[in-house]
Amino acid sequence: MVEVIDHDVVIVGSGLAGLRTAVEVMSAQLGKTPSLALVSKLALMRSHSVAAEGGTAAVLYPEEGDSLELHAWDTIKGSDFLADQDAVWKFVTLCPEEMRQLERWGMPWSRKEDGRIAQRPFGGHSFDRATYAQDKVGFFEMRTLYDKLQEFDGWSRFEETFVTSLVIEGGAFKGCTAIDMKNGRFVYLRARACVIATGGAGQLWKFTATSVSTTGDGIGLAYRAGIPIEDMEFMQFHPTGLIPTGILITEGARGEGGHLLNSKGERFMERYAPSKMELSPRDVVSRSIMKEIAEGRGFKDEDSGLSYVRLDLRHLGREKIDSKLPFIKELSMKFVGLDPVSDPIPIKPTAHYTMGGVPVDGNGRVLDESSREVKGLWAAGETACVSIHGANRLGSNSTAECLVYGRLVGRDVVKFLTTKQEDPSGTASPDVAREETRVFDGLLRNERSEEDVYAIKARLKEVMDRSVYVFREGAGLADAVKEVRALKERFKGVKANDGGRQFNYNLQDVLEVGAMLELAEVVAQGALNRTESRGGHSRLDYPKRDDANWLKHTLARRTENGPQFSFSPVRITMWKPVERKY
Amino acid sequence: MNLAKTPRFKAGLLSSLVPFGFNVERWGYVIHRVTGVILIGYLAAHLFETFQLSMGQTAWLGTMAALHSLGPLEMVGLWLVAGSALYHGANGIRLILNEMFGMLMGKPIMPVYPYSPTSLGRNQKIAVWMITAVVLALWLWAGLYLLAGLGVV
Amino acid sequence: MDKMTLEVLRTGGRKARYELKYRKGMTVLDALVEVREKQDPSLAYRHSCRMGICGSCGMNIQGTPRLACQTQVSSLGKETIKVEPLHGMHVIRDLVVDIDPFLAMHTVVRPYLVRRDLNERDRSDREYRVLSEEVARFLQFDYCIMCGLCYSACPTVALDPDYLGPQAIAQAYRYMADPRDEGWKERVDLLDSAHGVWRCHVAGSCSFVCPKDVDPAKAIQMARVEVLKRRVLRKMARAGSPLVSVAPSGVPKQGTKAPPFDFPREEAK
Repeated sequence: MVEVIDHDVVIVGSGLAGLRTAVEVMSAQLGKTPSLALVSKLALMRSHSVAAEGGTAAVLYPEEGDSLELHAWDTIKGSDFLADQDAVWKFVTLCPEEMRQLERWGMPWSRKEDGRIAQRPFGGHSFDRATYAQDKVGFFEMRTLYDKLQEFDGWSRFEETFVTSLVIEGGAFKGCTAIDMKNGRFVYLRARACVIATGGAGQLWKFTATSVSTTGDGIGLAYRAGIPIEDMEFMQFHPTGLIPTGILITEGARGEGGHLLNSKGERFMERYAPSKMELSPRDVVSRSIMKEIAEGRGFKDEDSGLSYVRLDLRHLGREKIDSKLPFIKELSMKFVGLDPVSDPIPIKPTAHYTMGGVPVDGNGRVLDESSREVKGLWAAGETACVSIHGANRLGSNSTAECLVYGRLVGRDVVKFLTTKQEDPSGTASPDVAREETRVFDGLLRNERSEEDVYAIKARLKEVMDRSVYVFREGAGLADAVKEVRALKERFKGVKANDGGRQFNYNLQDVLEVGAMLELAEVVAQGALNRTESRGGHSRLDYPKRDDANWLKHTLARRTENGPQFSFSPVRITMWKPVERKY
Repeated sequence: MNLAKTPRFKAGLLSSLVPFGFNVERWGYVIHRVTGVILIGYLAAHLFETFQLSMGQTAWLGTMAALHSLGPLEMVGLWLVAGSALYHGANGIRLILNEMFGMLMGKPIMPVYPYSPTSLGRNQKIAVWMITAVVLALWLWAGLYLLAGLGVV
Repeated sequence: MDKMTLEVLRTGGRKARYELKYRKGMTVLDALVEVREKQDPSLAYRHSCRMGICGSCGMNIQGTPRLACQTQVSSLGKETIKVEPLHGMHVIRDLVVDIDPFLAMHTVVRPYLVRRDLNERDRSDREYRVLSEEVARFLQFDYCIMCGLCYSACPTVALDPDYLGPQAIAQAYRYMADPRDEGWKERVDLLDSAHGVWRCHVAGSCSFVCPKDVDPAKAIQMARVEVLKRRVLRKMARAGSPLVSVAPSGVPKQGTKAPPFDFPREEAK
């Protein structure tokens, strides 16, 4: 029995992009307020966006030497020239408004002496344009948006509702099927417009900074619905992840003057990026760290077997750490027992951000394989690939992207709602019944039950950590593809535990792992195909960037035999690619 | 599934009076509530007892006899009431300072790990322990008088 | 210590015991994850960020509400760890409780900046100038991750399910103390009510269990003093401060005719 619930707009995912879109939709000055369903598989404030620490980039003070061109250039060069330059330009022009708008809604930005919003240096930016709020910018932005959303009536929370599939018919979005975790009911959320904002897929890796919930659900939803996903082989490995959990230590620590030291006590960044040193873009720093470790100048942690280098903040002094970096002091003391004021922190590159995702156009509308819009479907935030970040994202650009695209998508959705629509009522499509069978009969009551979903998940993460990490090479990637395919086969023998309909987390885990395996195949195969090194994708066997053959976006479409790859051009409107040196 | 019909887990009067696993001020809260009930009970009993004066000599002597028949319990009971009044009054002053004047709470600060909330900080603790010391001292002193006839002291 | 036992209160009142091998640095959440993945997949509990910022994993561990992801097993000093769902809330299944009443209290206190002139509030070309000292007056209370530990620890909540709770009152104060806010009237009736600030008896357990040092006990007393001064002493807002109980910092009086942009001081040059 499926319950059908109708709304005007469904937003899947309640992180920064999801909440910003929701605020924009609810503030629309329409005759009738749109009915909004905000869906998340967690409670609304629990999204991983709260963990963002460092800052949000924006050109707030052009009179002090910053400029939109400089921000755009930094972003495009940081992306290793794979970013779509017209989209980047639109993005940088809209960032400053978002910062000031948030401030008007109560955001407690850190301030300069005279009361204006403060900014700090960040990796890859040639001006101090990371707007910060102590070192918890994502958390405060989430709080501000969530609190702002409480002002509106007429929107429904669908918390702890796990969306299992998108129903797309005739090139138009119809609805999403979901499981209401509170009572185990299968629901069909029918709507005229849908925004996917579920974040990235960091949990494919074992050593990751992301929450347990960051399993790439939204990207998997689009992939399974037949939409090609873009640039999945580009994964950002943030240089400073705490040993042994992978928890993030913000780039702001380096922005405030922190040093990276190897086992000899040297600031080894001098050898790799002498001008920017520790404030080079993240892929450069991550590669440098991995090289140092590979050449024997790292440390080894006895208990976990992980190698690491050290982040030294001692010279910053207690006062600066307490006022500008209090959260990382807390993390370091809580999880490793070290006070950054007196000890250097052990860190290693950690899986952090998914540059790839669902391909969208400049307004956030999802594009299908012929680059046509899917009517009624948008994507925003880390889930979307516009692409602004190309092959590597600069720090503090993601929170900015979520806000800017949250607004753009919100406005576009409102505009879409004012156009004449066909009446969506009527019986639900047969896809819904098929999905219900897949989930409940296929997984809960699977006849075969010889496989353990958690063993499969652990193995997948090990494989990704081993072969699809900062440095990749052909043989390892081919191995990874083979292993992932084998795991996919094994997954067919997984049965979800049926010990109660309410909050059956085991069933949710099974659904998540199913999507993760598909995405892992796309990532590994895409990495194997791309025979060059660019941004976050570095191959030891093809160490140079190859613009002649590879200046294009990868698109992967789902078929019965695995992903089918095609390519789309990069939109270059401002600067031609040059060598990327820091 | 109607959650409103199922009771909340470990809520209610008994749960609110469980101080285990919490801070010393929570113990203070529990004792304040319990002594408050004792004092109200004592007030009612005292009003009843004194009212018997207006009911004639027989009634009054009967009440006194009933009271004395309790034996040592009468003085011990009065001693407990004395302690309750001392504690409830002294702690009450601390609570008035906290609630009506916002004193002993500290100012808003920027949290620095390891965390130590200012409302449970040094000033509050000094007040709590001073009250405990003064109340205990006066209570034991009162015991010297009230429990003298029992041969205990 | 090389072995540990997790004793979890499951649905129906049954106490399930799970034996685990202890690893150095293990948190209670690590233990729960191991139980679900290796021993009993039907164990239900919430978790997400595992770094103490999302607030999902609140539960009652050894009698005190804590976040499981940041409670080291070694810090509890026992080989058998007793885990229960958060007290004071309805239990849905195992360690998952119903936080909707808690979230509803938060919405009720209008936890957003209230300004009379909506056009001025939704502008995005210039920010309000706010000095760091002014941010410091409310910033501590803005650290709230909405984990519900304070709500579970509060003895008044245990007695009175309609009580606003420490989290909601602290958030109401956070916005009242924000120099950009003009919403005093909207919130005062709610705070000055039968289930408002007067129900707090300063047990302090909320501040004791708060994982982020939001210190809601302090916020509630500060809100109380504000209500007293306004309602009893009939004090009006003084120049430069939305609060009557905190000294002004030389900022122009709230409510005066401000320039058409940028309340409450001169335009950002």
